[in-house]
Amino acid sequence: MLQLLIAHLAAALAAPALVRWLGRRAFLLLAAVPAASAVWALTETGSVLDGAESIIRIPWVAALDLDLVFRVDALSWLLVLMVGGIGSGVLIYSSRYFSSRSTDLGRFAAVFVGFAGAMLGLVTSENLVQLYIFWELTTVFSYLLIGHYSDRVTSRRAAMKAILVTTLGGLAMLAGIVVLGQEAGTYELSSILANPPVGTATATAIALILVGAVSKSALIPFHFWLPAAMAAPTPVSAYLHAAAMVKAGVYLVARLAPGFSTLPIWQAIIGVLALLTIVHGGVRALRQSDLKLILAFSTVSQLGMLILLVGSPFQAGALAGMALLGAHALFKACLFLVVGIVDATTGTRDLNLLSGIGRRMPVTAVIGALGVASMIGVAPFAGYVAKEAALEAIIDGQAALAPFGMPILVIFALGSALTIAYGLRFWWGAFATKRGVTASLEVVRPPLLLVAPPMAMALAGIATALLPGLGETLLTPHAGSYPLGEPGHLAIWTGFTPAFLVTLGAFAVGGTVFLARRHLSRMAFPWPEQWDGDRIYRNTLRRVDQAAAAITTVVQRGSLPFYLGVLFLVAIVGAAPGLFRSTVGANLWFGTDLIVIAASVAIVAATVLVVRARRRVKAVVLAGITGYSTALIFLIYGAPDLALTQVLVETVTLVVFMLVLRRLPVYFSDRPLAASRWVRLSIASMLGLLVAALAVIVPQSRVHDPISDRIPTAAVELGGGKNVVNVILVDTRAWDTLGEISVLLAAATGVASLIFLRHRSTERPRPGSLEDVKATLGAAEPDPIGNLRQPRSADAPTRKANWLVAGMTLAPHRRSVILEVAVRFLYHTMIVFAVFLLVSGHNAPGGGFVAGLVVGIAITARYLAGGRYELSAAAPLQPAFLLGMGLFIAGSTALASMIFGGEILESAILHWTMPVFGEIKLVTSLFFDIGVFMVVIGLLLDILRSLGAELDHQGDVLDEDGEPVRQALEPAGTIERREP
Amino acid sequence: MTWLVPLPVVIPLAGAGLAVALGRRSQLQRTVSVLSLTAVLAASLTMLFTVDNGPLVVQVGDWPAPIGISLVADRLSALMLVISSAVTLCVLLFALAQDLALGDPDSPVAIFHPTYLVLTAGVAISFLAGDLFNLYVGFEVLLAASYVLITLGGTRARIRAGTIYVIMAIASSTIFLLAVALTYSATGTVNMAQLAGRLAEIDPGIRLTLQMLLLVAFAVKAAIFPLSAWLPDSYPTAPAPVTAVFAGLLTKVGIYAMLRIQTLLFGEGPADTILMWAALATMLVGILGAVAQSDLKRLLSFTLVSHIGLMVFGIALSSEAGLAGAIFYVLHHITVQTSLFLVAGLIERREGTTSLNRLGGLARSAPLLAALFLIPAFNLSGIPPLSGFLGKLGLLQAGVQASTPLAYVLVGGSLLTSLLTLYVFVKAWNKAFWQPAVEPTSATRLPAGMIGTASALVVLGFVLTLAAGPLFDYATEAARDLHARTPYIEAILGAVR
Repeated sequence: MLQLLIAHLAAALAAPALVRWLGRRAFLLLAAVPAASAVWALTETGSVLDGAESIIRIPWVAALDLDLVFRVDALSWLLVLMVGGIGSGVLIYSSRYFSSRSTDLGRFAAVFVGFAGAMLGLVTSENLVQLYIFWELTTVFSYLLIGHYSDRVTSRRAAMKAILVTTLGGLAMLAGIVVLGQEAGTYELSSILANPPVGTATATAIALILVGAVSKSALIPFHFWLPAAMAAPTPVSAYLHAAAMVKAGVYLVARLAPGFSTLPIWQAIIGVLALLTIVHGGVRALRQSDLKLILAFSTVSQLGMLILLVGSPFQAGALAGMALLGAHALFKACLFLVVGIVDATTGTRDLNLLSGIGRRMPVTAVIGALGVASMIGVAPFAGYVAKEAALEAIIDGQAALAPFGMPILVIFALGSALTIAYGLRFWWGAFATKRGVTASLEVVRPPLLLVAPPMAMALAGIATALLPGLGETLLTPHAGSYPLGEPGHLAIWTGFTPAFLVTLGAFAVGGTVFLARRHLSRMAFPWPEQWDGDRIYRNTLRRVDQAAAAITTVVQRGSLPFYLGVLFLVAIVGAAPGLFRSTVGANLWFGTDLIVIAASVAIVAATVLVVRARRRVKAVVLAGITGYSTALIFLIYGAPDLALTQVLVETVTLVVFMLVLRRLPVYFSDRPLAASRWVRLSIASMLGLLVAALAVIVPQSRVHDPISDRIPTAAVELGGGKNVVNVILVDTRAWDTLGEISVLLAAATGVASLIFLRHRSTERPRPGSLEDVKATLGAAEPDPIGNLRQPRSADAPTRKANWLVAGMTLAPHRRSVILEVAVRFLYHTMIVFAVFLLVSGHNAPGGGFVAGLVVGIAITARYLAGGRYELSAAAPLQPAFLLGMGLFIAGSTALASMIFGGEILESAILHWTMPVFGEIKLVTSLFFDIGVFMVVIGLLLDILRSLGAELDHQGDVLDEDGEPVRQALEPAGTIERREP
Repeated sequence: MTWLVPLPVVIPLAGAGLAVALGRRSQLQRTVSVLSLTAVLAASLTMLFTVDNGPLVVQVGDWPAPIGISLVADRLSALMLVISSAVTLCVLLFALAQDLALGDPDSPVAIFHPTYLVLTAGVAISFLAGDLFNLYVGFEVLLAASYVLITLGGTRARIRAGTIYVIMAIASSTIFLLAVALTYSATGTVNMAQLAGRLAEIDPGIRLTLQMLLLVAFAVKAAIFPLSAWLPDSYPTAPAPVTAVFAGLLTKVGIYAMLRIQTLLFGEGPADTILMWAALATMLVGILGAVAQSDLKRLLSFTLVSHIGLMVFGIALSSEAGLAGAIFYVLHHITVQTSLFLVAGLIERREGTTSLNRLGGLARSAPLLAALFLIPAFNLSGIPPLSGFLGKLGLLQAGVQASTPLAYVLVGGSLLTSLLTLYVFVKAWNKAFWQPAVEPTSATRLPAGMIGTASALVVLGFVLTLAAGPLFDYATEAARDLHARTPYIEAILGAVR
């Protein structure tokens, strides 16, 4: 069993290669795989009859109760035989059906064999979820097969229709399976059926599963996908849409019926849908002119019959249904293959164009006649035996079926009559010589391999009918598991029973209808159009598309203010209810410190003014005021470290903003969002109020001691430092700091990434390819102060005349001597101060972060005074080197402590004595702090390079406004020396 | 084995430092990046097996909890680390094959490698954080790196998309930071294990407020409706590998954070109901968004949002089964969504466009590419037996087990979402792969490395399916730990109390 599945998988995977190697002959090889299934089923016949079921269990996902369990009983046996036998026949047929030049055959073969494997798995699954897995696989493969002629729009649409409709049912079924499994406590069919759960949940679950079954088996209201699926190549129609896949629904109904067919909801769904489908399919079949469509609607109608029978609670009905299941597979596949031959040899399937084919292709015509005879129920064919048994069962069950017994009998008989009518019309349409139709079509003699498979199927139809006793023995085990009645019998001749009389009547009616076909085709079709499943499907898809577009337009505005507004509203709506429900009071006492009050007022005022500001510079400066005021508050509350850091960060931020603002318009853009202004204002105000309320209320809910109480002592004992802030930064929470300096690194790369890309006015065709990167690069700029750096160059006198190295590279009107002098004096002092801050940070205010900022500001000052060439002179190291090595040192310090046997980032306190300095105490976290120091400098340097120097340079090059920018920024007096 | 715990953070960070310092020596940079991420993957895998015996806890700097920062690797963290490091390594190799990493020789800083490494470090910080503020730091690290990556190349479209992305992220981070500060002011601690105890003892109204603020912040990261609209507007414009890793990983960090705080800090409560509705809306609005798209990358972004809803559904059920389903679905979704975006990248590279109206006939002209698209597409649609089906099955079982009316509604919503997802992909397949192209495109040959890495991820999807048994067991164990809370809390505070 398992080997068979693996063989299918292997064959499917190998199929493309085989087809490439052998061409269409590969189909013959592949046919061996499903044939093996059939042969295997035959060898198992004995044990199935004995009831000795072979079970294979492969553990898979225990947490989901999903083991792969395969079991073959009488019902599975029948389907394995069908799936394997007809599958191999159709594959043999395919080896001649397709032209040797047709494309995509490899894919086709792979999917076809894969489908056969999935079908095999489906009918042998013991676990319901596993059954669903194979069920969906058949859907997917069917999608790929229906869409085989992918150039044709009808194929693509039909494929989509099939997958969507059957998956809709499939998903309903999945829900049903999960609920049923929950109710039953297992997914294993034999356990569920041995002890079926009861109750509303079970009934709902069963109804959902039936939705899956009827959608797969193309019952009303899902039937419409099946005729559309005729867009597939004919072998696919024969196998999937007649013999195998559509039988999955029938199989499932037959599988579950022993346990659930007495449920009212089961009977309602099965009864109503099956009966409607029988009539609808039959009537539509009569009206088609495409031979394949006749067969498609015929299949629809007969699937109704099958489900009616196997879904009944009666053993006799089940036996008849299973017999019809086998018979239908044989004759319908046979007839599809016959249509394929006609189509392939004449180039059409339209019965209005075909004439005299029977004379030219007598063998095919005979095969067709055999198939039709079985379909319409002529003795001695399998179809006859099955249909007689079915009528027998319905007539015998009249008492139990009351009051629905008579309508069921009438409709079933009507279905038979319709079958006879369209069956005759089919053969007539395909093979008869018609008056008024020229029989001049070119006819090619079909090759043997094309004729043999349908021939074999037709003969099998006779053979099985001649051995009704054997069929009865094989099918009774499953039929006997149904809840009501007796299994009944299969027989070729039962005498002049009521059933035989009904059959005669059906032949009379059907024959009459066939003879009156010309009049019938002119009659109006009684089916209301709005009930048409196809129409509903198309309308639903259109509505889904429309709804999707409408909703997405509302939700997906592409407007940042809208998104922010939603975010803030959600935050307000989310946070407020809890606040109202809390019983905690608010602390509205802010203290009496005048400085704090003044700073707060300044912050509020500045904030309001920022929002109102029209000039960018004004907004930036006002925002700076909020920062400096915050620093003041930190200071008052005794946090000089924080205050120092805040002031420095604020300063750097201001400088960065100013550098950027040089390239931005002076004013903010006109306010295009004036309409929503009040909405935005109220959201903002509400959010502000909320945060304020949180700030005064939430702290009052504290009932525990904060961990900060323990930090000052711990800082000295564990961190060896009295400056708690610094100890927290480089020791207690050094892990956070490590993260944050990597943020700085990322920020630095980001700034560089954006600024150093030029010539971006056009979108790049292939993002990221080497050619593009090269194409977008500007020419590298020569270094104008390269020789200024030479200590003993010939230009030494010139150099002495300047306070700053590169001062003279600026245009004269841009230079400020006072600034240059001040920077000249201050620079080294600041650097020394920074080093002091770095080293002393552990006990006094300071630390690597602050120290780095100080160095950064010192370099900034030199840049502002001396221009971009001064920047190069001030910082000979690449920012990348500083950034990278900084992070690397910090990270290595973290690892080093682990290598020395401590925890990550654990610091050690080292003491030793040095000749001059005396006793020295060194906390190893200093190394980490040095890393931080370097990253901060690297970041600032990078920003100055990018937002400062590079923007200067781009200003030189781009000259966007046509103003004489170039002259103004051009280094004065060094132009001659630039060229080497 | 606790020495393993910080490695997924420290190795990439040191690597990022080296990569920056190495400047333009790109061959060395590549080596550093690949080695770093391989080492991280190895460390994560080792942890996956180690933490089966109980969580690994590191007190950074040997500062005792709750003063210092605790790093915790429990089953959930280890699973997340393994899948994220596997995916980031694959995407890195893809990016290398795409030459994306070359960058701009004019720039003073090498960009792609260090930033990418910082991103992975940030993700790892978040997964390992046993400290609420450190979780915030983790978010900041990965976000800062993501700002750089999303604007890589700096085209007009990317800058515009980046603006939305950056500002939304900063706004949500501000809310997160506010929530952390308020949490500290209400409880006096940010250690998560201690918070688990202390939050239960404060005023329930305040607790709900804190919970909602945190959830709002995470909902933005995870892209939960109505806080999801920024994602489809920003992700698709970035370079393919960047979008792939963002789509796969970053939203899941938000999901991870929700899983953690919902189970450890807050437990069952009224927020679950809100999350249920949010999950439903996310699924449906998301997938309808995908229906309305005609560009593959945008379409994928919407499916991404939609399926976040499924994970939120599992979290909101807050049962063991629900959490297990959500955890497994996270693993699946990271893999499959990343593969799909990489395949979209392949298509873009080959055809020069991802517009479904311009693409065509790819099933015939590029059969391998077609298979690479179809398999994850079906996987995402929940077609069995692929991992997406298994995750969905777990969630459906959990929903049915809960058997509340709302849970049933969600079960129905998940199934409808599956169907619409299938519709979306079938439509895309019909248009781009079956329907002949309107005008023939000039196809470019794809580098083998790109195809190889994309295939590797598709295969990883298969591995998730084949190994679903042990994986789901592991996820169930992880969910049990989350639900019980005690293994986590005792691992950190056990010695202290």
